[in-house]
Amino acid sequence: MKDSLSWASIKSLLRLELRARFGSKVEISTKDKIMKGVNIVFTLAIYAVLVTGIYFLTDMFVKRSSLRFEFLVLATLFTMSVSTLVAIGNVVKNLYMSGDNELLLRFPVSGTEILIAKSLYCFIHNVIINAMLTLPFYIIFGIVTSAGAGFYFASLGIMILGVFVPYFIANLLAIPVMFVVNLVKNQFLLVLIFLIAALCGGFILYMTALTGILEYLSSERVGLFSAEMIARYQAFAHAAYPFKWYAMLLNGKIAGGFGAQDLGLAFLYIFLMTGVLGIGAYFVTTRTYYKTILKGIETEKVSFHKKLPNVCRSVFGTLVHREFYLILRSFNYSFQYLAMAVAAPVMVYFCNNLAATMGKNTVGAAIVPGLTLLVITIFVTIIVSFASTSISREGNAFYHTKIIPVSFTHQILVKLFLYALVGTCSVVLCCIVVGAAFATEKAGRLLTPLDVGCIFCITEMAVLSLTCLSIWADVKSPTFNVSGDGELVAANKNVALSLLVGIVLAVVYGVFSMVFNFVPLQIGETVLIDSMSDIYIALSVVTVLILIASVCTLFINLDKRYLKITP
Amino acid sequence: MLTIKNLKKVYPKSDRVAVDDISIELRPGEIFGFLGQNGAGKSTTIKCLTGILPFDGGTIEICGYDIQKEPIKAKMNMGYVPDNHSVYEKLTGREYVNYVADLYRVSKQDRTERLERYLDLFKLRFAIDKQIKSYSHGMKQKICIIAALIHEPRLWVLDEPMMGLDPQSTAEIIAYMKEHCAKGNTVFFSSHNLDLVKRLCHRVAIINDGHLIDCFDLAGNEENKANLEERFFKITGTYEKRLFEDYIAQEQAEMRPVLVEDDDAEAANSSETGAEQTGDAPKADMGGERK
Repeated sequence: MKDSLSWASIKSLLRLELRARFGSKVEISTKDKIMKGVNIVFTLAIYAVLVTGIYFLTDMFVKRSSLRFEFLVLATLFTMSVSTLVAIGNVVKNLYMSGDNELLLRFPVSGTEILIAKSLYCFIHNVIINAMLTLPFYIIFGIVTSAGAGFYFASLGIMILGVFVPYFIANLLAIPVMFVVNLVKNQFLLVLIFLIAALCGGFILYMTALTGILEYLSSERVGLFSAEMIARYQAFAHAAYPFKWYAMLLNGKIAGGFGAQDLGLAFLYIFLMTGVLGIGAYFVTTRTYYKTILKGIETEKVSFHKKLPNVCRSVFGTLVHREFYLILRSFNYSFQYLAMAVAAPVMVYFCNNLAATMGKNTVGAAIVPGLTLLVITIFVTIIVSFASTSISREGNAFYHTKIIPVSFTHQILVKLFLYALVGTCSVVLCCIVVGAAFATEKAGRLLTPLDVGCIFCITEMAVLSLTCLSIWADVKSPTFNVSGDGELVAANKNVALSLLVGIVLAVVYGVFSMVFNFVPLQIGETVLIDSMSDIYIALSVVTVLILIASVCTLFINLDKRYLKITP
Repeated sequence: MLTIKNLKKVYPKSDRVAVDDISIELRPGEIFGFLGQNGAGKSTTIKCLTGILPFDGGTIEICGYDIQKEPIKAKMNMGYVPDNHSVYEKLTGREYVNYVADLYRVSKQDRTERLERYLDLFKLRFAIDKQIKSYSHGMKQKICIIAALIHEPRLWVLDEPMMGLDPQSTAEIIAYMKEHCAKGNTVFFSSHNLDLVKRLCHRVAIINDGHLIDCFDLAGNEENKANLEERFFKITGTYEKRLFEDYIAQEQAEMRPVLVEDDDAEAANSSETGAEQTGDAPKADMGGERK
């Protein structure tokens, strides 16, 4: 006999899901409350900056250029795309990779009830994300155009309508995404190559498009709102299905020049599209979800078989081998670290190329060395920040590092060696790439071999310093918050800290090099810095000092501090 | 083999002394049982002696090496099996054992020989080349035991080792503990299984609320063996004559209830439902009588 659905169970499961994501009503310490408050303020500040940006954009499109409809099409395209991407991630994470399905199935609840509860959670999440994305656009648009109450009602309706399509697409794509992920899950090298290719491909595409647009604008001497560009926006907006339909309903009959029939048809098309996607998502999800979780296709269940002979390694070698394999065999870690390290030279080349071209044309070629230093240091910082989870990633097996007959200093040296090695390889590749691209006759000798050599030395020392500081931060306060698969659930505060330090360092180095290459630094009559060589000497001295300080910070009393770590 | 003197441990941000003034000395060739209730301080003591936790007072020596002053030499002589069986799940069983063998500098010949033997002993040959994350609870426990033994430690420390193991593996571990000790090595293990401790250990220590209350011989002392349960219950403050008698009776007696026929069960159920509906008190015993 088929059990009927219990809404009480669904409600409990949903509440459990919400508690798991947003925390229970447990009392938190004052320090945590303050941190939470700071986090909220910081998030609101970023949101305020975005809203301000949207305001200026709306003003430029709608008031100054009368591109009212076109703006709405672009806004819908942007919000729906972001919403769909977030929804796919959310559905995959919560429905198939959350790791609690097995636990939930032990309770007297059916797979359908779990599915409904989780889907409701995903839907609520989607509604919030969608509202946060669309509301600023609609409210600011209303204010800028002095729209009446009708517009706000229409935008509320469109906002609700707009929730469904990304959510249904996410549900449709989640299963194929999961199948592909599981299919290649244990092909670690293949996954790594794929990730590198995807990362580089995406970045190259983005940079090529950006360069193209900027070059077009500068060579044609046209502005973002020249007559030609406006014509292009209009042509795009009229061909941008299905986003155009949403924009038509928002724009309304009076202001848009659309007839009642057009608006009716737009609504019908949206309704049909949403209906078809909804039915498809319903059938795909209900037919595959239960099977998927029962067959254990959740990634944590997928393992591999690899027969190897017993091999003897040195203590150092075996620790490096283990650390590297634990990174390589994790999809998340491979992406965060190895793929980024390999893709960094490509990113550095494109970023530097664009910035150097723009800078050379506006400020002058003297800006290029400083800019290169800035760009390389920023990308290297992203790679090195991974070291700030080196202790946390040990997770439940952390005790192992305490019981093995290897000193803590030795173990940390191994980690430092591996991260510094990967960072160094990345720096070397970046320097070779920028050297080949900007130090040649053809490129106009924007960089000299001395520039490349000095940039290498400074960034290499920065890599070592940042690696030491990242590991130090994680030794100081590791977060052993791992998922069922033994991986860190999310980046911890140490990652944010090392990123912040690295970016500040990059900006200071970059700005210092760029400014003082133009303006000599002098105190009274004494000229302290007057050429690029002086800048390199000054930065090298500072970096050596930072390196010494970082090494000392990490290794002094390390054994004592490490022993105090208790998971 | 293992000397703990006046061990004291207080967890940071805690007023409570987790372990206070514990002193134990283990002799070569003995199996030593460590008993106590949940939260008594057994795991804390074990974590201190394995080097996982720092401690606030006292000394711990393993084979003559102080765990604080010469931790590497001390750890070289010890194998540890944790209670949570956490290992590097992304590695295969063989990779993990090889990794541990490398850290303890075990030669290729020795590790191959020992691994082959343990794989047969613990029936894990079929899974040794699979990723550990696919292992069951018991299999993870077995791979931890193999890794702890790959360097043939002189002191083998196990924290509740029989939890989650199948009967055959439990028997194999017991047999191996005996064999290990016969070579002059020592086994130190914590357990809640009084019956097993009584039959296996040469000596036993009982800890309560962080204090070592009693330490006595079991081997060759029939009176101590016979009184183990009573002493444990009294020391841990859970002794109550009726409960203790129940425990002893349960240890010795058949406990399964008499099966109730389907018709009787239905009748019993309906009468119970009826009782609920009418507000009558439900029947006290539905499970049949105990032997």
